[in-house]
Amino acid sequence: MSWPSDVRRRAEEIIARYPEVRSAVMPLLYLAMRQDGGLTLDGMREVAGYTGLTPVRVESVASFYSMYKRGAAGRYIVSVCTSISCHLLGGENVLDAVADETGVPSAETGTDGMFSIEAVECIGACGGAPAVQVNYELIEGVTPDAGRRLCRWLAEEQPEVVGSDHMQAEFGGIRSFDWGPAEPVGAIGPVPAFGPYGSAGEVS
Amino acid sequence: MTDRILTTRMEAHPGDSHTLTRYEATGGYATLRKTLAEMTPEQVQEEVEAANLRGRGGANFPCGVKWGFLAPAEPRYLVINGDESEPGTFKDRQLLERDPHQLIEGIVISSYALDVHHVFIYIRGEYPRSARRVQRALDEAYAAGYLGDDIMGSGFSLDVTVHLGAGAYICGEETALLNSLEGRRGEPRLKPPFPAIEGLYSKPTIVNNVETISNIPWIIANGGAAYDAIGPEGSRGTRLFSLSGHVERPGNYEIVMGMSWRKLIYEVAGGVRDGNGLKCWIPGGASAPWLTPDLLDEPVTIDDTGRLGSMLGSGAVVVMDETTDIVAAALSITRFFAHESCGLCTPCREGTTWLQRILERILAGQGRESDLDLLVDVCDNISPGLRWPPAMTTICPLGPSVVSPIMSIITHFKDEVRAMIPQGEPAGV
Amino acid sequence: MSERVKITIDGRQVEAESGELLIEAAQSNGTYIPRFCWHRRMKPVGICRMCLVEVEGPRGTMLTTSCTTLVGDGMVVHTKSDTVKKAQEGVLEFLLINHPLDCPVCDRGGECPLQDQTMSHGPGESRFVEEKRHFEKPLPISDLVLLDRERCILCARCTRFSDEISGDPLIEFIDRGNHTQINTFPDEPFASYFSGNTVQICPVGALTATPYRFRARPWDLEAVESTCAGCAVGCRVSVQSSQNEILRLLGVDVEATSHGWLCDKGRFGFQHLAAPERLTVPLIRGKDGELEEASWAEALDRAATGIRRVVEAHGPSAVAGLGGARSTNEEAFAFQRLLRGSIGTPHLDARMGDSLDAVLLAAAPNRGLIGDLESAKTVLVWGPDLKEELPVLYLRVRRAVTELGARLVVVHPRATGLDPVADHVVRYRPGHGGETLTRLGAGDGELAAARAALGEGPVVAVVGRTGLTEDSDLAGAVAGFAAGLPEASVLAVSRRPNLYGAIDMGVAPDLGPGRSPVRPGRDADGILEGLGSDIRALVLLGADPVADHPSGTAGAATDFTLSIDLFLTDSGRAADVVLPAAGFAEVEGTMTNLEGRVQKVNRLVSPPGQARPATDILADLAARLGDPWTDPSASALAGEIAELAPYGSVSWDALDWGRGRDGIVARGGDATYVAPPPPPPGNGNGLTLHLGRVLYDLGTAVAMGPSLAKLAQRPALYLHPDDASSLGVIAGERVKVNGSAGSAEVDAAFDPSLALGTVYLPFNLGVKIGSDPAVTVGPVS
Repeated sequence: MSWPSDVRRRAEEIIARYPEVRSAVMPLLYLAMRQDGGLTLDGMREVAGYTGLTPVRVESVASFYSMYKRGAAGRYIVSVCTSISCHLLGGENVLDAVADETGVPSAETGTDGMFSIEAVECIGACGGAPAVQVNYELIEGVTPDAGRRLCRWLAEEQPEVVGSDHMQAEFGGIRSFDWGPAEPVGAIGPVPAFGPYGSAGEVS
Repeated sequence: MTDRILTTRMEAHPGDSHTLTRYEATGGYATLRKTLAEMTPEQVQEEVEAANLRGRGGANFPCGVKWGFLAPAEPRYLVINGDESEPGTFKDRQLLERDPHQLIEGIVISSYALDVHHVFIYIRGEYPRSARRVQRALDEAYAAGYLGDDIMGSGFSLDVTVHLGAGAYICGEETALLNSLEGRRGEPRLKPPFPAIEGLYSKPTIVNNVETISNIPWIIANGGAAYDAIGPEGSRGTRLFSLSGHVERPGNYEIVMGMSWRKLIYEVAGGVRDGNGLKCWIPGGASAPWLTPDLLDEPVTIDDTGRLGSMLGSGAVVVMDETTDIVAAALSITRFFAHESCGLCTPCREGTTWLQRILERILAGQGRESDLDLLVDVCDNISPGLRWPPAMTTICPLGPSVVSPIMSIITHFKDEVRAMIPQGEPAGV
Repeated sequence: MSERVKITIDGRQVEAESGELLIEAAQSNGTYIPRFCWHRRMKPVGICRMCLVEVEGPRGTMLTTSCTTLVGDGMVVHTKSDTVKKAQEGVLEFLLINHPLDCPVCDRGGECPLQDQTMSHGPGESRFVEEKRHFEKPLPISDLVLLDRERCILCARCTRFSDEISGDPLIEFIDRGNHTQINTFPDEPFASYFSGNTVQICPVGALTATPYRFRARPWDLEAVESTCAGCAVGCRVSVQSSQNEILRLLGVDVEATSHGWLCDKGRFGFQHLAAPERLTVPLIRGKDGELEEASWAEALDRAATGIRRVVEAHGPSAVAGLGGARSTNEEAFAFQRLLRGSIGTPHLDARMGDSLDAVLLAAAPNRGLIGDLESAKTVLVWGPDLKEELPVLYLRVRRAVTELGARLVVVHPRATGLDPVADHVVRYRPGHGGETLTRLGAGDGELAAARAALGEGPVVAVVGRTGLTEDSDLAGAVAGFAAGLPEASVLAVSRRPNLYGAIDMGVAPDLGPGRSPVRPGRDADGILEGLGSDIRALVLLGADPVADHPSGTAGAATDFTLSIDLFLTDSGRAADVVLPAAGFAEVEGTMTNLEGRVQKVNRLVSPPGQARPATDILADLAARLGDPWTDPSASALAGEIAELAPYGSVSWDALDWGRGRDGIVARGGDATYVAPPPPPPGNGNGLTLHLGRVLYDLGTAVAMGPSLAKLAQRPALYLHPDDASSLGVIAGERVKVNGSAGSAEVDAAFDPSLALGTVYLPFNLGVKIGSDPAVTVGPVS
């Protein structure tokens, strides 16, 4: 077992949430990604060890879902929605803008490991189209120009934690609905910010 | 008559509608208390059946009937489908983030009715904020004794686990969701057996949408008959519609069904942007065939929309104005289904991508005259007869969903498609 | 159980079994519905969608996959309607748009279901003008199997086989949607003992086997059905050759034994028959002491003289014979006749000190059939690791457990291939099996649950020696115990391919032909012990005691030794005369599997050089010893065998077609097995050796075949980590092990599944230390 003890403890806690250990595969994959900044062969082997599956079965599951990034992901995954509602309101223009600004083409990770740029399918923010996520933290109503500013900010500030509310205030526009009170929580790495995965942090 | 059920609290108390304090202060969990103290599980089921609540996930199947299928074997599970991924749909996200206790109270009442002791809330991975809000609300509910062992001294115990998806639309299909929850690829299962007989871990399982279960506290508090009195027959209750695309005021709107499309688009959502003309709209998510302005005065109901050859689906209305590049719009949806096809069955795996590539070719100015027939025939090989509701050569309805955008543009906008195809091209190669 | 129902297929009313799959019901009524993913030995998945048909229902006709639809009374089905045709043609077109259509260079070309379907139903011309999907090809996914992902149609037969049937899911669907592909984990090859089955069931040329790749076109092949001679399961095979060379074996689906599956050793082991090391001419020991080539007449004369001299000087009992367990029944019968009849010695044995009591093998109490597993409630496996020694029996036991719901109790000194699906696993140290049996019988302590499971019948017990250091009486006692379990069915197992047949033919010290008790002679142990003294001549028929006998270092007698074999074995090197024999697929005859099932083996190619069938060699020898047999041909010997009581109805004709495809079970005989009491505990102090067999050892089928040779396991001594740490042994480092017949230095490895105090050494990997349980182990200083 190569994971440090706190991660191992998280893994055990995750497994305990389910009646059958196999159900823990997906959260453990997030844990592995959080640990390695992407899904590595060792990470998948580790998950296989916890769940009693062969590594290829873990990879089979991991490769089915688009949020498990095999190999190294960028420090910031910038996901631009181009599904129908965002498409109708210029999502592709936002995608072109962030790709141009970062110098990283869509579906690729920059050589410096700072950005992964991707077009994503509907992220449930159609009322705030076009929508963008940074490490799955949402910003709605993003213009191409705001997309560029967002990427510049990420590159310059290199925030440890990226949070939806902060980025929405700085770079967003129209929202799908009133989000309610802002919360100072965000993502630490390229994993959805959720307590059990150890991926949620305080936005500074 | 009531015209708001789900969104009253969040509208009245935008600052803290998601907290336990506010939920309790606005009468929350009183229904649960009453249910556990005064009602039998059968009585709860009867009320839900009497409400004629139809599922809000997309298939619109009557909730009470679905519950009635649950097999008696132990243990049984309730799984809340929060994998909201149908393009155009963002209503469950609002319910999860703005009023999670309403959902949780619905979950506990439903579990009591179904004799379920472990519930999973499957939330798509792209909704971390929803997951955080729900988890925090669950923690509050546990601490307050609304969850856990011996809830409010009733002897009824319940655990709820949040499970995050990881980017796969197909997991909104209930059997694919169960596979995903079991740590497998999110591939749909063959039916039968249906989940109510063999679901999660092969045990009897009910899968209900977030919005569906969020209605339960109101239904039990006010009685199934009161819910059944709202809206037209077959489309009872209120419903949260997601309006997006070329409208002036996109957003989620809770309405009583039965109003006209004209009213929904032009009054509720503020009309088409910039005063532009309406080209068409999608009435129920990306899977639904498109409707055209001649149908604006048709009523917004489940059955009427079905009669028009489309569906209300998940309540996602996507409006396209006259400036819309219709082939590009169809391509966006087609690419979506190709990207989200699980790849298990041949017609969907191969057909969706083939259709995508034909459209890409047409958009790139490399279309052929024969492509129009080819598009239709490939669609026909996925959904034989091209009828509604669709027949299918595939395992699950994702495959036939790709037919909706393609046949919509060929039926309604054939000239626009043809205009993109270079003329005088030599026949065949 | 199931009732007959009436269904209508294409307007014709036919009968089917209620609950039967429509695709099968249609086929048994003469309507073939095309399919790719469906395979009758695996669960239906309905994913290729090729078998779509229309079924009439309350809401009109519906397209549905016939591989997932159960027939019901009154069902009306259309398999040839316009809608069905269009749907099937559509599916075929979808499958072809990304298929490379490289049939001329594909091993499957000519026997490819996709190609066949395309010829009969396919579109004339492609409407797909875009670029096809590309993958790097071919990808070696193991030493034996190559994967071409461009040809793959994602039917999931291979992945389902490795998951459902063999239980080693090392290949899987990777990625999603149109990018879906089959693959292995990057650094974990498809190292399955059963990988060849995936090649056979692949409906296209996506999976190919390295031994067959580019060797032949299907229409150039000659084929004959036969029985695999790899082990005692006796799987039915189709042997296929071109230009007098065997090129491949395919499994044939029979209910009784294999269900169509083969292990890779059985499937690819044929390569040893064409090895350059095959003996092609007789050899005799020359004046300079070296073996040199000789004519048949010269060699046979020399052999007869050698034997005659010993008989004349010391009496016939100074001659002994070992072998026959790899031969046909006819060869074994001839061997027995030569030794008991022509020579007159009682000392002969087909076993090699590693097997069971001959009477137990021939007449186990409540002797069962492999097929009994289908209705077993509980299965007891107390014997060899079936995955290593009798692989297809492992598959059948696994199926009984995972598919049919039987409970499984495994008793073994270490983890076996079946442990992952076992309900109860009992560990014990070799030498302490007797106590374990007594405690299991009484349901002592932690064995209570296992005992309770064994109380629910029908019970099928697979009993044998767990390893070579095991007292063979233990298996006898276990068989006795098992025979008393409810509705018990006992399979007393031992691995050599025709050991059961050889014993039925009388190649046993205490049984004559037809399982008739005879005055006992020496068994293999006794014969080898006597080599330095009163056994002065030894005849070996396909036997190599030097390599194969656990304690044997000797394989030659003082006065004269004859080896009849395919290869110059370690024992043969010390022989006076070595005669080249014909092997598998080079002779016709029968073999008897572990159930007592007699099956046909057939001839397809001629033996290399001057090699001859052993029956001819033995008859010539008998004639030179003054006992000319009237008709020494194998077919004539078969006629004589058919006169033995248990083989009464068995003729080559009866075995060759019709019901004979499942062979004929030979039951009866005069032998009665009396189970011994559980053996007393062995020495409790110090380390105990477990000497077990592995599939890929240094036996000729592995070592002499280019494909399997590289799979032979590396020798190592396995220790429990706790034992290792108290001995100061580190995994991966060299360790010295001292046994009863020598000591050796090998790599140490950890095996936490071992009972404490037990060390495990795989047998026949070149490390020989004897077969006594007591050993000492220490680091190499």
